[in-house]
Amino acid sequence: MLGLIATPAFRYAAGVVGLVLALGLRPAVAQAPLSPGEPRAAARSEMQAGVHIGVATCSGGNCHGATERPHGSAVTGNEYIIWSTRDKHRNAYRVLLEERSIRMARALGLPDAANAKLCLDCHADNAPPDRRGRQFQLSDGVGCEACHGGASGWLGTHISGATHQQNINAGLYPTENPRMRAEKCLSCHFGDATKFVDHRLMGAGHPRLGFELDTFTAIQPAHFAVDQSYVQRKGRITDMQVWAAGQAIALIKRMDALLDPKHSRRGPFPEFVLFDCQSCHHAYDPLHAPHPTATGLGPGTVKLNDANAVMLRVIAARVAPAAAKALNMHMLALHRATTEDWAAIQREAAAVRQAAEALEPALSRHNFTREDMLAMAEAVISIGSPSADSQFSHAEQVTMSLQAIAAAMKSAGYLSEAQAQAATTALNSLNASFANEGTLRPDAFVKGLREMQLALGVQAGRVGQ
Amino acid sequence: MRRLLILLLFAASFGFGFGGARAAGVADDGVHLGVASCAGNNCHGAVEPLKASRVQQNEYLIWAQKDKHSRAYAVLKDERSQRIARNLGLLNSKGEPDAENAAICLDCHADNVAPDRRGRQFQLSDGVGCEACHGGSVGWLGIHISGGTHQQNVQAGLYQTDKPLERAERCMTCHVGDDKRLVTHQIMGAGHPPLGFELDTYTAIQPAHYTVDADYVQRKGRPNDVQTWAVGQSMDLRKRMDAILDPKNVPKGLDPELALFDCQACHHAMDQLQWRPRASTGLGPGKLRLYDATAVMLRTIATRVAPEVATELSTHMLALHKGVGEGWPAVQREAAAVKQLAEALIPKLAAHEFTKEDAKALAEAVLGLGVNGEDLDYSGAQQQTMALQSIVAAMQQLGFADETQIKALNEALTKVGETVANDQTYRPDVYVQALRQVQAKLPP
Repeated sequence: MLGLIATPAFRYAAGVVGLVLALGLRPAVAQAPLSPGEPRAAARSEMQAGVHIGVATCSGGNCHGATERPHGSAVTGNEYIIWSTRDKHRNAYRVLLEERSIRMARALGLPDAANAKLCLDCHADNAPPDRRGRQFQLSDGVGCEACHGGASGWLGTHISGATHQQNINAGLYPTENPRMRAEKCLSCHFGDATKFVDHRLMGAGHPRLGFELDTFTAIQPAHFAVDQSYVQRKGRITDMQVWAAGQAIALIKRMDALLDPKHSRRGPFPEFVLFDCQSCHHAYDPLHAPHPTATGLGPGTVKLNDANAVMLRVIAARVAPAAAKALNMHMLALHRATTEDWAAIQREAAAVRQAAEALEPALSRHNFTREDMLAMAEAVISIGSPSADSQFSHAEQVTMSLQAIAAAMKSAGYLSEAQAQAATTALNSLNASFANEGTLRPDAFVKGLREMQLALGVQAGRVGQ
Repeated sequence: MRRLLILLLFAASFGFGFGGARAAGVADDGVHLGVASCAGNNCHGAVEPLKASRVQQNEYLIWAQKDKHSRAYAVLKDERSQRIARNLGLLNSKGEPDAENAAICLDCHADNVAPDRRGRQFQLSDGVGCEACHGGSVGWLGIHISGGTHQQNVQAGLYQTDKPLERAERCMTCHVGDDKRLVTHQIMGAGHPPLGFELDTYTAIQPAHYTVDADYVQRKGRPNDVQTWAVGQSMDLRKRMDAILDPKNVPKGLDPELALFDCQACHHAMDQLQWRPRASTGLGPGKLRLYDATAVMLRTIATRVAPEVATELSTHMLALHKGVGEGWPAVQREAAAVKQLAEALIPKLAAHEFTKEDAKALAEAVLGLGVNGEDLDYSGAQQQTMALQSIVAAMQQLGFADETQIKALNEALTKVGETVANDQTYRPDVYVQALRQVQAKLPP
């Protein structure tokens, strides 16, 4: 539903990424201890039960629909305006009325996409009717409470100047917490036990989903600024932590989907959505002959989408080398298992899930140093080089990961003005190398990688060799 | 010649024109003496035919100069083959790619008979030579050059390539595959081009090294292009069902033998919104689809020749497609039923006398598949195009249409051929437009 990396819309969005960097909207601030603010179980269940009282209850001129920062406000106050004028979540419902959605609904045998639970569950804040308040409108799309939780329980506290923690205790969803944000976003941007864009939906015409938590936070665009007040209230959460947690949770969700009997297996065949789209959807060009050697798979086999696993391995290699090894081993075994039997697949998927689960807390809390950032940038760049496994899905994650690292370096003050500018240019080059939803221009991509290498001051590696 | 031009469009874009014919003997058919034993200038390598000869005598020259079978071995040394060999781990002792010594390649890219059945003049490097198709000649060469009748040659071991059924068997061992030679998805993934085949069309575009004249008809009977097409389709479907039933091709893990499926069901761009319902598959969007273009053709032929079989074929093909979503046992059960139907049709089609009325009706039915949107998958369009070429060739031969009409039809067919020349640029609406032009040129 959001911009995809390969579409012109994404390239536009990526321009915004560049802008974020260039304008320094994420200024470096003093270090503050991270307080992830884990919600209590009770609060979480309350959140489930809360009534969604509608976007209109948030968008008041003195609240989140302000053109100027309201007096004494901890936030800019223009959150609603950003969402309603620039955030595609706003159009999520409207898109169901378009020609493409009509066509998809017909292919799926649905009378009307805008009335189908299957579509509304992600294209709107599809709370059950008894949990919709008077001002709630389905047509608001993915509105405030779709992410922040039904506000009936916490709106009172919230507007009375309570602390962030008090709001959370009353049911506000802690979107600032990397893991919780990842869970929330990925419930639609990848899928979960109840919502899932399966291959049937894709075949009917749904666009491919591409996602990376930190990049998608930035390109929404974010309707928050990490300033002193933010850090004071919510802790200092870096792009690196968001990126790392996002990769871990994405991998966990992929494994959950693979293990879910509902959509992991129909007849003798797997749920194709868990595989790399371009593993099949490529022209049979003799020069293409994809040969993913790093997976251990031979030619002509369909490869699971392992881009999140590859990124997570890069992060873990630096932060928790032993865990990185285990992850690598089980991913190799999982790839091999896809050509063996279902029991082996389940065993290895469970092991990969466990490895990612074990890594996540360490990654979300890790204090990423300048050396960490440079080392990870170098590792990510070398994954993107065609001499390694150059594939669309990897290139996509490489691009977004470099965005996250560059943003983190910029925020931490590790990049000069000129370097930040050069990183923005490099990101634009990388994004422009995606011709469409399925085609990567390798030469242009490598050029972008080289630019990024220079911009960040990463040691000259093996790019493009 | 017209057909050659049209089909070269496919071949050029796919590179599947060089596919080998049948090679290593299905059964022991004697010693293979080698191409050199046929190519003498008094035999099949003559620039001008001898007066007394019943054939053109330039058969060797046509093969050597124009027929890609003669280059089937040479192609194993080119860059693409080296890449395929490396991807498949076919390496020599020095670790270099070595397709030209691999049985998996030679079995279709040469006349790969066992060493003890190779005569003194036999050369593997001759590619798919005379005896790869006509059979090892040690038993019949003597009779053949002593002026034996065709029947006498056949009795002595000459393979009956003139009979549609036998020809289909032989060509399809490589061009479709059998239990010993299947271009698996592993081989495709390593870089082998996809196979496309239709018996009558491929006979014509080899190019054929025989002429159907009065003498040919006297000795071998008059071939009928529609019949060759029809028999070819039934054999093709039978062989595809054999491949589904082959225990080697049972899915392993999540990994079915993808070569059994329709290439373009997966290999298409994702931005085309291409899915459309097809009554003959009953499949919803996003499903893997078994290759069924020849089944659709055979059903179309059966509707005219044996309507009761056509209905059954439709039923079991639908169940076969459905079976893919249920489990391999269901797929195998239905494949066995489809195979039985195809097998039952083979003798019927081989015996049926295809009239010009049949040709007209079949042309209309094939055009209808496209124009009515029944099968606009790329594989379907490709088979429909080749079918129409075969039917038009028969129309000419059966005197259904005069020369001007045939010329107009072939011109319209050339345009159809252009619209299916490349699977990635194929657009169903453009193809249908071209079909309508053929429809308009059909004589009443």
